[in-house]
Amino acid sequence: MLSSIFSSLFTMNFLLTAIRLATPILFASIAAFITASAGIVNIAVESIMTFGALAGILGSYATGSAWLGLMIGLVVGVGVALLIAFFSMKLGADPILIGIALNTFADSLAIFFLYLVTGEKGTSASLHTPTLSKVTIPFIEKIPFFGKILSGQYVLTYVCWILLIILFIMLYKTPLGMRLRACGLNSDAAKTAGINVRRIQIFSLILSGFFAALGGMYLSLNSIHLFSKGMVSGQGWMGIAANGISGGRYGTLLLSAFIFAVFRAFSIIFSQSTIFPVDLVGAVPYFAVFFFVTISSILNYLRIKRGNVEEK
Amino acid sequence: MTKKEKKLNLSITNPRVFDAVKLLCALLIALVITFLVLCLISKNPVKAFFTILTGPLSKRRYFGAVIESFIPYAFAGLAAGILFKSGAFNLGAEGIYIISGVSVAAVACSSITTSGFLHPILCVLAAAVTGGVLMIIPSFLKAKFGTNEMVVSLMLNSIYLGISMYLIRTFLLTKTTSTIGSKDYLPTAKIKYLYEPLRISPAFILLIIVTIVLYLVMFKTKLGYQMRLAGANPKFAEYSGISAFKLAIITAAMAGVLAGTGSAIQLLTQSSFYQPDKTATGIGFSGMLLAMLGRNNPIGIVVASFLIKYLEQGASVLYFSDTSVPSEIVAIVEGIIILLISSQYFLRGFREKMLLKEGLKKDAK
Amino acid sequence: MAETILKLEQVTKVYPNGTVANRDINMEFEKGEIHSIVGENGAGKSTLMKMIFGIEAPSSGTITYKGQETHFSSSMDAIKAGIGMVHQHFMLIPSFSIVDNIILGDEPKKGIFINKKEATKKTQELSDKYGFELDVTALVSTLSVAKRQKVEILKTLYRDAELIILDEPTSVLTPQETEQLFVQLRSFKEQGHTILFISHKLEEVKKISDRISVIRNGISKGTYRNDELTMEQLTSLIIGRDLDNDMDKYKTHENFENKKALVVDDLYMEMNGKPVLNHVSFAVKKGEILGVAGVEGNGQGDLVNCITGLEKTKYTGTITINGTEASSLSIKQRRDLKMAYIPEDRMGDGTAGKLPITDNIISTYYEREDINHKLFMNHPAIDLVSDNLIRTFAVKTDSNKTTVGSLSGGNIQKVVVAREYNTKPEFMIAEQPTHGIDIGSAEFVHHKLIELRNAGAGILLVSADLNEVIDLADRLIVMFDGEIAGYFPDANHIDESSLGMYMLGAKKQTAEEIGGALND
Repeated sequence: MLSSIFSSLFTMNFLLTAIRLATPILFASIAAFITASAGIVNIAVESIMTFGALAGILGSYATGSAWLGLMIGLVVGVGVALLIAFFSMKLGADPILIGIALNTFADSLAIFFLYLVTGEKGTSASLHTPTLSKVTIPFIEKIPFFGKILSGQYVLTYVCWILLIILFIMLYKTPLGMRLRACGLNSDAAKTAGINVRRIQIFSLILSGFFAALGGMYLSLNSIHLFSKGMVSGQGWMGIAANGISGGRYGTLLLSAFIFAVFRAFSIIFSQSTIFPVDLVGAVPYFAVFFFVTISSILNYLRIKRGNVEEK
Repeated sequence: MTKKEKKLNLSITNPRVFDAVKLLCALLIALVITFLVLCLISKNPVKAFFTILTGPLSKRRYFGAVIESFIPYAFAGLAAGILFKSGAFNLGAEGIYIISGVSVAAVACSSITTSGFLHPILCVLAAAVTGGVLMIIPSFLKAKFGTNEMVVSLMLNSIYLGISMYLIRTFLLTKTTSTIGSKDYLPTAKIKYLYEPLRISPAFILLIIVTIVLYLVMFKTKLGYQMRLAGANPKFAEYSGISAFKLAIITAAMAGVLAGTGSAIQLLTQSSFYQPDKTATGIGFSGMLLAMLGRNNPIGIVVASFLIKYLEQGASVLYFSDTSVPSEIVAIVEGIIILLISSQYFLRGFREKMLLKEGLKKDAK
Repeated sequence: MAETILKLEQVTKVYPNGTVANRDINMEFEKGEIHSIVGENGAGKSTLMKMIFGIEAPSSGTITYKGQETHFSSSMDAIKAGIGMVHQHFMLIPSFSIVDNIILGDEPKKGIFINKKEATKKTQELSDKYGFELDVTALVSTLSVAKRQKVEILKTLYRDAELIILDEPTSVLTPQETEQLFVQLRSFKEQGHTILFISHKLEEVKKISDRISVIRNGISKGTYRNDELTMEQLTSLIIGRDLDNDMDKYKTHENFENKKALVVDDLYMEMNGKPVLNHVSFAVKKGEILGVAGVEGNGQGDLVNCITGLEKTKYTGTITINGTEASSLSIKQRRDLKMAYIPEDRMGDGTAGKLPITDNIISTYYEREDINHKLFMNHPAIDLVSDNLIRTFAVKTDSNKTTVGSLSGGNIQKVVVAREYNTKPEFMIAEQPTHGIDIGSAEFVHHKLIELRNAGAGILLVSADLNEVIDLADRLIVMFDGEIAGYFPDANHIDESSLGMYMLGAKKQTAEEIGGALND
């Protein structure tokens, strides 16, 4: 029994599960990364995912089209990001407190709106909503091994992959990206180079809201096509954790996000067996994040102790 | 030293008066917006609005329910307030409420004592110790290694939920329904009322004592001074010779003890058996909002907790007669007030104008 | 008559809090001249520059650039118009290459991408043209201070600046590097650039300028040709009175039995595999001021952090404070050995801007008995202590409850000095104690340091301002590249330019000579 579980870890299915689970965490990671690169904190990723997930479902219910629902979800995500920008930049509120407040409210507010539409407080299961489908790419699906990975994913997974590439090019190859990173590394230097730092930071928040909303909608508009309370379940925070571990390195960011997804996949596979206590297995992904974040900070601490510091 | 006569300065330029005005404005705006929302969703918005505001006063047991149920929230608020005040963003109270509940359930289900006086005290102590110890973990990692305490404490919340479910399922399980629940607490463990009609219990007295003590600690003692310094500028506190590490551990332990205590009170007054994923969830998170509402001032936090619970009770009274309004509407009030009062520049232009006027008056003299 | 490039007429700047930084300034700048603007710290030079560079808008008056009245809304507009500025604190991103720093905000493009090739070629050519000897692909973090300044200047040239403002450019340079900079500035002038040189070092101003404008208390005191002013005239224009510059008369020669307030022995620390403190040894005696001179970033900051206990990186060697070995002690334990510290970054380390003066002015001795009851802090006593200090140190404020962040720089520094002074230290570290504050406050701080020394405290004075170190110190060490490069037992008889040779690393004393720093 045990060996069969372990052998199941090295199968195509497991890899596909991990890839499927990686998409929302990747979205959350780049949502956290883009604002950190521009020198501001957005810890409200989790709540924007929740709002995005709900708005996507309610939107596609109202319009009858998953794509229109997606648009509505994006508008809501960006709207919440702008709200953060307004309160922290215009009204001088602490962005961390605003973030904590939004994250804490997200569930209540989501339930409030869910109830207004459905009369229920748990899930949107009573709504009949159209969903986004999987995409099979002819020819590519026939390629051994890679065919199964590259084809047959949800639309938003492809969107995610494409965005990851675009974001990389934007950040490291274009003037806009260079300016954005300059704002994060030394905002005074950016300012004296004639860059409008505030405008760039608002732009990064908008992108962050956009990515986080996509991450949320990946959860609601895909396979289970419903919104349920607490469905984001810490994946926004996993993105923030991945950003923290990355130390500003894009590759490390994506790798960390993927590792978290692998642990979520573990958790799902193990919870189907009775060998391990199901409650503890459920906590494994969170423990993995806890572990990696702690280890990375200890390594960083030792590095400073040894006198290895980067001048940013 | 010449004795200065302290005059009551009610001018808007006095920062304290200004803060009060700001709070009132925020409250007013929040109520207006709530009313507008009610207009959109309720057929009888005026009645709904007044039911929310006065509902808890309509029956004595409603008001009693407010008095009883706000206490665990106030403890969560105090726990968060201590941490925020000293600049720590340890968001672990939620997990502490859940896992301390296991300690409470274990003690409450065991016949460790037959004294109806001692049993609840032992329950509270067990929870307080559990909370005090476990709350230290994120703060320790932050102070020692610079670990991101927000991420770590949130992950621990989920981990604690898993562990609590496991422990209850393995050692205390009797309810075999769809959810996991412990055995019933022994009757001796229940917290007894001092004045039953208003549901006033020793927990209420404890809250008042704790609030006063915390107020004194925060504003009158060296520890409070250290917290203030570390909260305002941690580098300055370190430079001044304040051990950030020690302070982080002490405040985390205090917050953990408060959260554990709150958890015990929640369990022993609001439930007869323990369900980790139901009985005490959401309180730790609410506490952070209450701390923000109360501006990290213990008295402010307790007042805020009472008001929010009062409004929630009002909303649920409304729900009996008008199911079109979910009780989550209170979150809107709460959210608007928090956003406005944490905005430094809200009403600032107004204050500056008044300052300028006052300055001109002084010049004229 | 040469062509006027920039003209200020009746320029006035009033800040919202009522401070008048500049009043009715009238100045004209000619194309192709080196024009210095001099004045005390806080006289209004930097506000004026900010208005010219578009960072601040004048409250009234007009600025005319190349015959057109300008209304710059940001530095971007000024840059576009052909004005460049080299800030006192470099505006560079260390983890970017030189090229990236230079092109930031004005990147050559190929489609939507940055054209790295062209950028590199263009900046390298520019660097070679002006003889800057830079490899533009290098990371800025690997450069020396002088080279970073060159990058800053290149930035302005890259944007075709015709008018270049240099804000206190020599404050971070050795005399030799300053000389080199001047050669460069003269060559810019020959190529038609106009240079606006801001400084409070009069000798340098006399050396480099064609014309000099003086500002005092926000008011312009006229523009003069360099050759029609003597040094004395210039000084009295700036100060408006005779400056009491001779600190020497305060020096006493009391003997404090040769006791040591601080002994640093064989301190060694590495950063990224390179030694930043390379076997440093010296001592501070009671009743003396030991000056530490050197270009910023040659280990002084790390040295101070090791002594105060703020250092996070491991080091070897011993630090003895007032007779107790302290290298493994906490900051508090070291402060209990009667150590006080005036930090360089007064807003970052030295105060909490959000808190009132009362909270700030007791932070290093808040546990003292006289301001505590048993369990509680004694707030009336704290008010009393604060009010006394506010009075003695002439802190300008309405009340002791004013938040420190709303005070002026000089007054914030006075709060810091008052607090450290009030711990009755026997050993004090003063790190850039008068950096960026007005001359009145600076003089006040200097007098307090001397008072403290005369009362028997040992003071370690770390400053990049050579005049300050030479004026105040009894003995002097020069740091270069993490080592003590020179030791001068008598700070009164030092030739500034020979000091410069040590600061630059061009000269180094023998181990025996340097040993005096520890053993004298």
